[in-house]
Amino acid sequence: MDGWVGRVLRVNLTEGDCFVEDLDPDTAKAFIGGRGLASKFLFDEVDPKIDPLSPENKLIFATGPLTGSGAITGCRYMVVTKSPLTGCITSSNAGGYFGPALKFAGYDLIIFEGRAPEPAYLSIMDDDVEIKPAQHLWGKSTPETEEIIRLELDDPWKARETHIASIGPAGENLVKIASIMHSGHASGRSGTGAVMGSKNLKAVAVRGTKGITVAGGEGFKEAILAFLDEIKKSPRIGLEARSTYGTWRIIAAMKNRGMLPTRNFQAGFLEGIPEIVDIRRELLVKATSCFACPFGCRRQTRITDPEFEGEGEGPEHETYSQLGPCCGVTDLAAVTKAGYLCNELGIDTISAGGIIACAMELYEKGYIPQKDIPFPIRFGDKYAVVKLVQMIAKREGIGDLLAEGSYRLAEHYGHPEISMTVKKQEMPALHPQGYQGLGLAYATANCGGCHTRSGLRFDKRFEVAGQAALTKADQEYIAVVDSSGLCWNIFGGLLMLEDELLTELELATGVGYTKESMMLAGERTFNLERLFNLKAGVTANDDTLPRRMLEEPVLKGENEGQVVHLAQMLPEYYRLRGWDENGIPTPEKLKQLGLVNEEARVG
Amino acid sequence: MRIKIDHTKCTGCRLCELACSRQHTGSVNPQKSRIGVFIAEDFCLPIIAGPYTEAACNSKGMIIIDGREIDECVVCRASCPAKPVFKEPDTGIPLKCDFCGEPPDPQCVKVCLSGALTVVEEEKGKLYHGISSST
Repeated sequence: MDGWVGRVLRVNLTEGDCFVEDLDPDTAKAFIGGRGLASKFLFDEVDPKIDPLSPENKLIFATGPLTGSGAITGCRYMVVTKSPLTGCITSSNAGGYFGPALKFAGYDLIIFEGRAPEPAYLSIMDDDVEIKPAQHLWGKSTPETEEIIRLELDDPWKARETHIASIGPAGENLVKIASIMHSGHASGRSGTGAVMGSKNLKAVAVRGTKGITVAGGEGFKEAILAFLDEIKKSPRIGLEARSTYGTWRIIAAMKNRGMLPTRNFQAGFLEGIPEIVDIRRELLVKATSCFACPFGCRRQTRITDPEFEGEGEGPEHETYSQLGPCCGVTDLAAVTKAGYLCNELGIDTISAGGIIACAMELYEKGYIPQKDIPFPIRFGDKYAVVKLVQMIAKREGIGDLLAEGSYRLAEHYGHPEISMTVKKQEMPALHPQGYQGLGLAYATANCGGCHTRSGLRFDKRFEVAGQAALTKADQEYIAVVDSSGLCWNIFGGLLMLEDELLTELELATGVGYTKESMMLAGERTFNLERLFNLKAGVTANDDTLPRRMLEEPVLKGENEGQVVHLAQMLPEYYRLRGWDENGIPTPEKLKQLGLVNEEARVG
Repeated sequence: MRIKIDHTKCTGCRLCELACSRQHTGSVNPQKSRIGVFIAEDFCLPIIAGPYTEAACNSKGMIIIDGREIDECVVCRASCPAKPVFKEPDTGIPLKCDFCGEPPDPQCVKVCLSGALTVVEEEKGKLYHGISSST
């Protein structure tokens, strides 16, 4: 096969067995790879009703046909599993070098099953696959884990080429927002790290020396060079702004648009947000890239403020916004420190910020009794943010409750409406009350409130009419991006480079993708995820937003007074999707998507 | 013609490695590239494969780049018995940059948008082992 390697590595942790299976070419074509293909495996092999932290759940690391192929931004891998945070299927995406290394080792996917009897890590060196003991790694932070595994290899050259994804103490402690980290890149959302921890799997280390072939040969090379030329010249793509400021430019854009979630989404603007030139001057050590990406939005940073010393990665826009303004904090050094701690301990920065903001509002409204907390947790208290992040990861004191996610926290104190979650997952750092379509996209995302599940079309953000059709199409296209192994920030987001993606995908695989068949694969994936969720117990009632988004007009900023008109958009969205009024895909729709066998399993 | 390296501009995207291996082997494989990027957290240094040496040298010195001490062996361009770098992983055949044939058309430079790799006509005294001065 071209693009795909054509091999799946299956690791049964209970038995300690590893074996390789052939990837069925027709299934690969129908679901592309990454998110789509892994969702297909999970749907076929896992009962949606199981406890996500039980050995019956599976954890899938999946690359796409463009991962490591030489396609621009072809570096992403997806972690797909049933989420302990949402109870839904989730796919959490990360960049760096891990995905390509997995392909170079000769695998499209790794499927982890069961639970290791003792802490273990998986070591892959091409065809040599070994489950190794990880007792000595248990309790270690993610950078420490990577360093120790590299030292164990005892060969500095091989260590350089070995790429590692690991969990921190939070994953071991089954924190429901635990992430899987790879050199500062996070598969952050939905608690994939907790699933890994429940399997006693500390890390996956990969080194590969094989090559990846593409179908298009010279044509592929020419297309890459033409695309690079376009990137260099196109002001719309904005190479310079992206490489200079990374995702910090989104902080500036959201501040200007009044869409920076503030004080648990009560407002869309906060005074005192630093200018991005100041953030850059204050923090940046070096801008670095993921594999095959000329944009280089990864930030290697250092805190100069002696109060919060440290060095690490980020904060990216989402991290800054959620641990910062969402908690009423603007202090750059404190937020950066909190972000580092999240990365080291292995928790999702977006959900961590959302949970702390929720706790702050609960406390300020008097719903959390004084006896439950060791110190007052008020909006704007930067020390509380830094401390609570650590308490969540370690499940210390009230951190044990916070580690369950903001929905369970707010429900525990009798006020679930204070939790800014969709399907129990914290909403990301773009305030939906400034953008109707985003509200619809959050409400209907299969993984709950998430920041990379639709496109960004700011020119149409206040319009209600037409959002359903746009959101549907964008969600399907983004499923294609996630399945191909490309980056949402470049191929999705503001740019939505559909033609460029199709060119890369078809030239790499050569299996005859057209715009229609590519988009249909995205729709197929989206509907398959939906079927999984329905079977898991999700209903149309879960396709909603926190009451605050629908009823309480947002304070401050350009969108002051706006609410999300979800009820006006959702019925049309269901109709366009080919779903009935209960949000269930109709038999005709499933037939059109080739999901006839899957339909039989919806209970 | 020489390829000038400004490591301060390199972001570690390794598109050069991909282009190189694609050009020389027809498949994408950084292990078969004639250019390799040494990547540390805040430091990226592209190294272009030089001539093969039959014996490993004894100079295990450290050199200082940007105030950082780096093992000379790491930045050495030679393919030698002491390290598995710039050799075909399956056959051990040493690899050396050939500027992508005659006339020279280095693919690595073509895909480098960061400006870390540029083609320059040779100027004496300004270049050392392909590493430009960053000061």
